[in-house]
Amino acid sequence: MRVLVVEDEAALRDTLKARLSEAGFTVDVASDGNEGLFAAQEYPLDVAIIDLGLPGLNGLELIRRLRAARKTYPILILTARDNWQDKVEGLQAGADDYVAKPFHFEEVLARLQALLRRAGGWASPQLKCGPLTLDTRAQSVTVNGKPVDLTTFEYRILEHLMLRAGDVISKSELTERLYDQDFERDSNVIEVLVGRLRRKLDPGEQLRPIETLRGRGYRFALPRDTAP
Amino acid sequence: MSVSVPLALFFGVMMLVLDSGFRVLSQRSVGEVLDRQMVALIAAAEPQPNGGYAPAPHTLDPRLETPRSGLYAQIRSPQHEWRSPSTAGLDVDFGGLLAGGQRDLTYGTFGHDRVAIASRSIQFEDDPSGARSLTFSIAASLSPYEEQLWHFRRQLVGWFIGLMLALLVTLAALLRWVLSPMRRLEREIYQVEEGRSETLGGGYPRELSGVASNLNALLIGERKRVSRYRDTLGNLAHSLKTPLAVMRASLQGGEDAAPRVSAEIDRMTGIIEHQLKRAAASGGALLGAAPVEVTQVAAELRSALLRVYADKDLAIELAVAPGAQFIGDRGDLMELLGNLLDNACKWCRSRVRLTATGDEHAGPRERLSLMVEDDGPGISAEDRARVLQRGVRADERVPGHGLGLAMVRDTVDLYGGRLAIDTSPMGGARFSLRLPGR
Repeated sequence: MRVLVVEDEAALRDTLKARLSEAGFTVDVASDGNEGLFAAQEYPLDVAIIDLGLPGLNGLELIRRLRAARKTYPILILTARDNWQDKVEGLQAGADDYVAKPFHFEEVLARLQALLRRAGGWASPQLKCGPLTLDTRAQSVTVNGKPVDLTTFEYRILEHLMLRAGDVISKSELTERLYDQDFERDSNVIEVLVGRLRRKLDPGEQLRPIETLRGRGYRFALPRDTAP
Repeated sequence: MSVSVPLALFFGVMMLVLDSGFRVLSQRSVGEVLDRQMVALIAAAEPQPNGGYAPAPHTLDPRLETPRSGLYAQIRSPQHEWRSPSTAGLDVDFGGLLAGGQRDLTYGTFGHDRVAIASRSIQFEDDPSGARSLTFSIAASLSPYEEQLWHFRRQLVGWFIGLMLALLVTLAALLRWVLSPMRRLEREIYQVEEGRSETLGGGYPRELSGVASNLNALLIGERKRVSRYRDTLGNLAHSLKTPLAVMRASLQGGEDAAPRVSAEIDRMTGIIEHQLKRAAASGGALLGAAPVEVTQVAAELRSALLRVYADKDLAIELAVAPGAQFIGDRGDLMELLGNLLDNACKWCRSRVRLTATGDEHAGPRERLSLMVEDDGPGISAEDRARVLQRGVRADERVPGHGLGLAMVRDTVDLYGGRLAIDTSPMGGARFSLRLPGR
């Protein structure tokens, strides 16, 4: 999952970047509104965290511009002025949720994951597709109730595919979600990772959870369990 | 005084108009005198043995016989000239001969006298060449008229100056009387400023009593606000000292202090937020506050909350009576409803309802009735009591019901309203508020 953090306070920005990376996100950062606007339009994001009190272009205006530019990914706002007037304005501008400063990182993470789930059409933090269950909070995966041990990259790929189960996701999109902007990109890595995932999730080759569509990408093929 | 300038201008113009009117009148009367004398002179003229013409003796106005009387006459033909005895010793010039049938009116100076001179020429019918034609002239001194004019002007100026002074004095007295309540207001405001009195007195005229009572409202509001800020600062300082002491103690204790410190930071954050909000709540904008439409605020909050709780199968019903208004600060109403609705959305299973109605029979600070209810688990009796209890600080708040409810309680108190918690027919908690409004 690729997240953009627009926050002018360096200490907070660095902490968010470090902890979000730890939590498995690919993190882009911007320190003011204009930089944020550029990054938000340039990178293929899944979610953005925007501070309302930004220098340059303020947070509200940034959100309005992004929505006007038809960027539909979820936006989480951070605000130091924790009053309803500001929250309502932020949400009306097009944000999806808010966290008041000072916050616990766990709170931000939980909100982010909830937003991503919602954007993928999932109602609960546990994504269930037949025998396969992925828990976005615990970052754990089980098949028929038995835990499967995945590396960080494997987990990220599976989470991305499952959040948008049924959609075709290109190799380049997966690469971009895995690596920061400066990283060397090699699409073979994705093939290798998907291959390893398949072996770990489906050693008997009965489930076939991940389809390859030649020249187009991958698709998570198991149907979602809609009832919780 | 600024009124005196237009007044003087007005009087000046009036004087000019009157003066010119008087001049026209006096000119007309001079003209009449000249005409009358002219007719008499022509009637009295008789041919003389020497071929000239002169009036018969004792037929003339006695003034023409008296030297320097101010009335003069002349009869002139090309060869002869007769002048009235009144011109004796004066250097006079009645002007030249006129052609037959002509009339003329000129002005000249006889001695030191300004005179108006009327001349008329008469031609005999049997003398077409005009060789025997006569020019009659009458001159009348203008000094009596000029004297009258100056007299009139002196009187005019005298009257006008007197009138103007009287008017200005009346006006000044009137203004002083009319503005005396303003001066009293000024004096009383000054006294309040000096701290010698708390509020303005009563008994102002109707036009000013609104201003006075609004100023009083402002003063009271301001005083409340100041004392609230002072309390907030005091509370803040005191309540922050405890967590600071705990943090210092755990840091000096040697063992891993991080969890303890982190907990205390949470507590401090809570305290700061609570006190800030308490201080920021305007608490009954008594002055110039436009009533806030509940519908609008409720609709904004509803759409915001539906966004936030997008993954909950949630229905927020708004039963807001049209025209239900809150009298106070819009931000305060937003905080009140925001906190209550957010709380309800958090705890409900699927339904939240906001009811707002006006009650004109209630007390002035309780005319707006607001109700927020949900179908969640509700709040236990002890917890209700704790939420409502005054003096329970933010850091001793009811777990799960957050800072928000303490804030709601404080804001309702500031507005002098009422807050009650019971069980909704929907199954969950019901918060009933009474606030200033309609």
